[in-house]
Amino acid sequence: MTLPPVDVVVVGAGAAGGIVAEQLALAGFRVVLLERGRRQQFGESGHDELRSQRTTVLGNAFGPDDAHYVRLAESGDGQFRKVLPSEGAYNNVAACVGGGTFSYGAMAWRYLERDFRMKSTYGTPAGSTLADWPLSYADLEPFYTKAEWEIGVSGKAGANAFEARRTKPYPMPPLPFNTEASLLEPAARRLGWHPFPIPMAINSVAYQGRPGCVACPHCVGFACEVNAKNSTAVTAIPRALATKLCELRTQTVARRIATNDRGQATAVEYFQEGKLYEQPCRAVVASCSATETPRLLFNSASKLFPQGLGNRHDWVGRNLQGHAYSGAYGLFEREVFDGLGPAARVACCDFNHGLPNGLKGGAMLANEFIRLPYLFARNAIAPGVPLWGLEHKRYVRAWYKRSMAVQGPVQEMPVFESRVELAPELTDAWGIPTLRIRGHRHPNDLEVGRFISSKAEAWLKEAGAVKTFPKLPGAGVSGGQHQAGTCRMGDDPQTSVVDRYCRIHDVDNVWVVDGSVHVTNGGFNPSLTIQAIAYWATARMIRDLPKA
Amino acid sequence: MDLAGYRMEIDRRLFLAAVAATPLYAAAPLVSFSAGEARLVEALCDQIIPADDAPGAKEAGVLYYIDRQLAGALARFAPNYRQGLAQLASACRERTGREFLSLPFGDQTAFLKDVASGRAPGLDAFFRMVVDHTMQGFYGSPAHGGNRDEASWKMLGVTGVMEGHQH
Repeated sequence: MTLPPVDVVVVGAGAAGGIVAEQLALAGFRVVLLERGRRQQFGESGHDELRSQRTTVLGNAFGPDDAHYVRLAESGDGQFRKVLPSEGAYNNVAACVGGGTFSYGAMAWRYLERDFRMKSTYGTPAGSTLADWPLSYADLEPFYTKAEWEIGVSGKAGANAFEARRTKPYPMPPLPFNTEASLLEPAARRLGWHPFPIPMAINSVAYQGRPGCVACPHCVGFACEVNAKNSTAVTAIPRALATKLCELRTQTVARRIATNDRGQATAVEYFQEGKLYEQPCRAVVASCSATETPRLLFNSASKLFPQGLGNRHDWVGRNLQGHAYSGAYGLFEREVFDGLGPAARVACCDFNHGLPNGLKGGAMLANEFIRLPYLFARNAIAPGVPLWGLEHKRYVRAWYKRSMAVQGPVQEMPVFESRVELAPELTDAWGIPTLRIRGHRHPNDLEVGRFISSKAEAWLKEAGAVKTFPKLPGAGVSGGQHQAGTCRMGDDPQTSVVDRYCRIHDVDNVWVVDGSVHVTNGGFNPSLTIQAIAYWATARMIRDLPKA
Repeated sequence: MDLAGYRMEIDRRLFLAAVAATPLYAAAPLVSFSAGEARLVEALCDQIIPADDAPGAKEAGVLYYIDRQLAGALARFAPNYRQGLAQLASACRERTGREFLSLPFGDQTAFLKDVASGRAPGLDAFFRMVVDHTMQGFYGSPAHGGNRDEASWKMLGVTGVMEGHQH
């Protein structure tokens, strides 16, 4: 069925898509916002560890669901096997209104100046496509500020000694320290480091008509029961809908972007309740995540773009990155568990850059979110302790409240062969070709991981840990919820997919606005950067896209 | 450093005597397992998280978590259980000359340590899966059929935190 035309179709109501829809609607454009998931409330998923975004053993509370989606993932032996969305190897990003931001931990980081100039800082290591971004921190700063104020970030301006110049403080003070942060903060100072409160997209006080955080422990991986967590579902998207110019269509599954003989987009085709719709439009924005956006572009192949929209030079789907999380656990004589969420409260940026021995990049180090019992029993077991039996039970019982974890998202060197591509002869429940994922991490990431882990152990020991043990990344392909890099932004159409304003090279009415465009992914959680880019790209889009 | 024995004051045997009357697998109807399979799964749960002065996976009804989820979110693993339980039973007969359920607790543990270390070919992956599901059922929410009376949360001292009533 062909629907009445609109100005812009935005595919994906997540971290970026919600902002793009809001900004375009505020500027007077008629927008349709497509979202494959549902609009969810806290009560649907509650505080259930086994159905949270971190522990999906009983299914993805926030989608996508195992009954409708499937991918192929490369195993160690080079063979591909089918993986469901609730399995780690699927590399799931939540599918609901708000996307990942509906249940995220909500750390709200600005990348550092050098994170945009990685090639200039480190050269290009063998086996990597490391490059500079075509924009600088200074270009993006006003949009970081906009994201902090419009989405709502609590933090302490100036507290991070390594942060570049900012034009405005945070709109809210930081959340208070918990027991862990109260021990770790002075320990870091004794080590000569520079600890500070983590900036969070969580209200520390009432903001924009929603209350402050109530310090519930079920934070990362859960919907917020008081809406103090600033997802796009409670910020940008309601404001977009209030304009009456944006229509949100949930449970709509985009099949392809239709194009004309000149290679311009004319419509988005999507399924809703088993029926196929065609939504004509003047422009399309793909904000589906760094795995689903390339999939949509591959599936939008045409005579002019036989390998997929924007894929003339075979860069779509490549350079898949996430973060090589590295850190350590520490065991303490005293109880350090206070049950106060979100728990991740203190960080250091002393090891994001300038590491010894030619190591490239690094990571911020922070104390972890609360570890709930099942994940603790599986993951926080000291070497030498059995993984089952009485000794295991006694370990869990003894140390659950006397342990901390410190870790950091190690910035990854982009690898051209680490990628998503269409899976041969495998489709989702709507018959749409699905993805396969393959590749590996760069050796640098594993070395940096060991270094970061050693610093995490040092920090925990200084804070009084009687025993520490490392947590190290694997060598397999990265991605996960921080997935990025698969539609690289650049000035040269031969070595990138979109221009500095996120428009696909030589397709003048299709934009990619999500983590896909990141050239590199920083040593930080990426959501605030994704959102700053969304404000940056839409500011230009509004100029370039005349109203009908 | 004794990581596991930290501040454990009550002897396991004292508690075992106290819970000897705890109802076994027949407490509720089963939806996935046969009675024979259920006995074996419950014995495995008892090995994976035994009782001491706090209930173990058997007392916490983890069998019912696994049984129920194999007809739900974990349905894709049902064939692994059907095959794995039969294989485990026969491997035990071959290696020990006895039925698993008739072995003393310590001999069951010794056999499962062999299984876990790969000495019964093909069974280590199955046992790792049962370990994982048992941890889910014991430490996860009682809403899914296990963790009866919030046994694990009481043991960890986090009942209020986990119920979300702390504020």
